[in-house]
Amino acid sequence: MSEGDMDELTRLLRDQFNPPPPTPRDEMWAVIQAGMQAGAPLGEDPQVLSLEQARARRSPPRWNRLAWAAAAAAVLGLGVGIGRVTAPPSATVAEIPVSEESEAVLRVAAREHLGRTEALLRMVRADGQAGHVDPAMGEWARVLLTQTRLYMDRPVNQDPSMHELLEDLELVLVQVVAVSEAQGVDSDRARSELSLALSGMEQREVLPRIQAVVPSGTGLAGT
Amino acid sequence: MVERARNGDQAAFRALYDANVDRIYRLAYRMAGQDDLARDFTQEAFLRAWQRLDQFRGDAAFSTWLHAIAVSVSLNGLRKVDRHRKRERSLENAAHIAPAKRRLDPGVRDRLEGAVDALPEIYRTVFLMHDLEGYSHGEIAETLGVAEGTSKARLFRAREKLRASLGDAMQEYA
Repeated sequence: MSEGDMDELTRLLRDQFNPPPPTPRDEMWAVIQAGMQAGAPLGEDPQVLSLEQARARRSPPRWNRLAWAAAAAAVLGLGVGIGRVTAPPSATVAEIPVSEESEAVLRVAAREHLGRTEALLRMVRADGQAGHVDPAMGEWARVLLTQTRLYMDRPVNQDPSMHELLEDLELVLVQVVAVSEAQGVDSDRARSELSLALSGMEQREVLPRIQAVVPSGTGLAGT
Repeated sequence: MVERARNGDQAAFRALYDANVDRIYRLAYRMAGQDDLARDFTQEAFLRAWQRLDQFRGDAAFSTWLHAIAVSVSLNGLRKVDRHRKRERSLENAAHIAPAKRRLDPGVRDRLEGAVDALPEIYRTVFLMHDLEGYSHGEIAETLGVAEGTSKARLFRAREKLRASLGDAMQEYA
């Protein structure tokens, strides 16, 4: 092969071998920022976030979404179980007495739920700036919406600030589901739903309110 | 800027990110061939940099230090990935790929890709950095922690191997 052929080969490879797409800089920054906030303070712990942890802050891997769906089912089961154990046969949901211990378990589960919801909404916000939301987020929002409604009927909802937060989250999650349903069917409606979802998040200040309840990053721990 | 970032200033770190992310992501993508892997490697490189800023002594440029982290993260990450997966490209990724100036026979393209993938890691890295992404031997040497002469020798060996394995494919292409 002559030098000219080698130059031609190099040019070909420059065009053909893994040509990089435009850098998704804002999406990656959202993940990095979440990692920076959740990671160890500078100078105290040299341990770094693993690849899996960083990825978890960006989006749930496919197997993880299944795991979360299973977790949602487990939480639902826990709630139903607690209700069945503690409630008299004729009691309505609102009248179910719950022990302090069970209430504590539910509060922990609710905080984890809020952490996962925060992660989803951050991703929706980051993706939304590009005018499109990953369809997987719609599925994820549906699971979280079901859980949110469950918690709205449980004792954790007796706290007025939690009650308001869950109501606002329900609305925002419904909007995220609507965005995902409209995408690929009606692009104008999808844009409009996305705009509503993003402005709803901002106006209701759901992310700062979640952070007031859940220390940053704890909702994702162990997922 | 580095000093401000070292003191925990996230805005300063964002500025460092903006200045470097394109080259880091491009290199990670060249090495990985998949958007999700390239993102993971880039993100992890910046997170490591953030968490280890106190270890940055300023002997080299911040960009060189960051590149050294990114290449190390990418090579370690790729060693964990099934080689078959590296050649898979989702439709989403394919949509971003710039159109080639000349349509290649799929057989020729596969041979080109296979030949680069088959290069030993130390040659492949230098080849991708120098010939495909335009890094100088000085930059490569600092990033990989080797002498400039070593970088040149590795590039020479990489080209030799490509010549040997692709000579007939180039004749078909011509």
